[in-house]
Amino acid sequence: MDVLNVEYMLGLVPVLLRYLPLTLQLAGIGMVLALFLACLFAVVRVLRIPVLNQLTIVFISFFRGTPLLVQLFLFYYGLPQLFSALTVIDGVTATVMGLTMHFSAYMAESIRAAIVGVDRSQTEAALSIGMTNGQLMRRIVLPQATRVALPTLMNYFIDMIKATSLAFTLGVTELMGATQKEAAGSFLYFEAFIVAAIMYWIVVELLSKLQNYLETRLNKAYNR
Amino acid sequence: MKTLLINTLLAISLFASAPLLAQDKPLRVGMSGQYFPFTFVEQDELKGFEVDVMNALGKEMGRDIQYETANFSGLFGMLQSGRIDTVANQITITDERKKAYIFSDPYVYDGAQVVTKEGNTEVRGVEDLKGKTVAVNLGSNFEALLEELPYADQITIKTYESNLERDTALGRVDAFVMDRVSASQIIKEKPLPLELAGPTFSQITNAYPFHDTEAGRALRDEVNKALETLRDNGTLASISEKWFGTDITQP
Repeated sequence: MDVLNVEYMLGLVPVLLRYLPLTLQLAGIGMVLALFLACLFAVVRVLRIPVLNQLTIVFISFFRGTPLLVQLFLFYYGLPQLFSALTVIDGVTATVMGLTMHFSAYMAESIRAAIVGVDRSQTEAALSIGMTNGQLMRRIVLPQATRVALPTLMNYFIDMIKATSLAFTLGVTELMGATQKEAAGSFLYFEAFIVAAIMYWIVVELLSKLQNYLETRLNKAYNR
Repeated sequence: MKTLLINTLLAISLFASAPLLAQDKPLRVGMSGQYFPFTFVEQDELKGFEVDVMNALGKEMGRDIQYETANFSGLFGMLQSGRIDTVANQITITDERKKAYIFSDPYVYDGAQVVTKEGNTEVRGVEDLKGKTVAVNLGSNFEALLEELPYADQITIKTYESNLERDTALGRVDAFVMDRVSASQIIKEKPLPLELAGPTFSQITNAYPFHDTEAGRALRDEVNKALETLRDNGTLASISEKWFGTDITQP
């Protein structure tokens, strides 16, 4: 076995670090948009708003039922073929669109489950003391649902960070794309990809710490 | 949280702005950045034969070159959807591609080469590929070349996005097929136990594909003119010598 080229690995760290912000941006923007969409979908589904409910069901079914890579190709290469004006969608946009729609489909279901999971007696109690529907949602249901949904939502965020590694297929040089190109120049695959792996890992570990902190805070009311 | 939202909105508004159409806009060139020594990256710098030739062409044409890197499988999609003007990635002229695109004059003449793990006594040339597993790059022309062989049905072809050299060296496939020039280069420069197996088995000519539109034809003519100048004044030959120690730009 060849000796690990540690010097090359250390030299690669500052180079690859330049591409980490883009990876985080893709995932960060995707997460904010996906959360927003997912909340809308969840509310539509819980309240069974006619027409919108059916549309949401089809949307979730499609974006949960097809691979993310297929969706990315559809947005980036497929749509401009049908409507040439859509060439303005650049790789970053297409990636964020894909991540947003794909993950909002998953997240909508876990948010819906969290809302439905709040005990009916809570709703009845709130209504019995004269709360409006809005107050009921804001003060009683959503705070409890957030606590339940948080771990799975964080899971999706972590998954989304890693899913950004598909973006290089659309010409977006993020962390994975930069690593692939560096590895192609040096042929030191193990060294290059282990550096990238450790970077992803550290980011995800930091997020897990954040999750623990948030969970402790949200659980305060339940600790005696 | 607030800044993140503002960033998001900023990003969205940036995405919405369409690229301006101008006469002297840069030539947008797609390449994989993963095809040593034609196009690769070292310490964040895009390098290789393709980059040198393209830069020389850009200088000759008085145009800026804007490089877009993407996985090879995405390059033709980017060309098709009008996001790049051409691809500089050793694109071989084939009948199938000629149906969809127009090509510049060839600037590289080469042959297909079988490469095996060092010490492989079973595969000594293209005729030994019967019953073997052979790696090719996804979307590359070598898959089609293999399928044209009379015993194609006895060859298991495995397509790769990248790293097929590594898998051959690891013994996961019996051989890979690539152009002779870059195969020799890989063997010479990289610490992988590989060797050429037999002579080349098909003449290939590589050129730049363009859209078959008025703008595409104009660009192609412009590139052809610059190519001719670079060929005549020896620039092409010297770039080739620099990377390969031999002139691959002549038939």
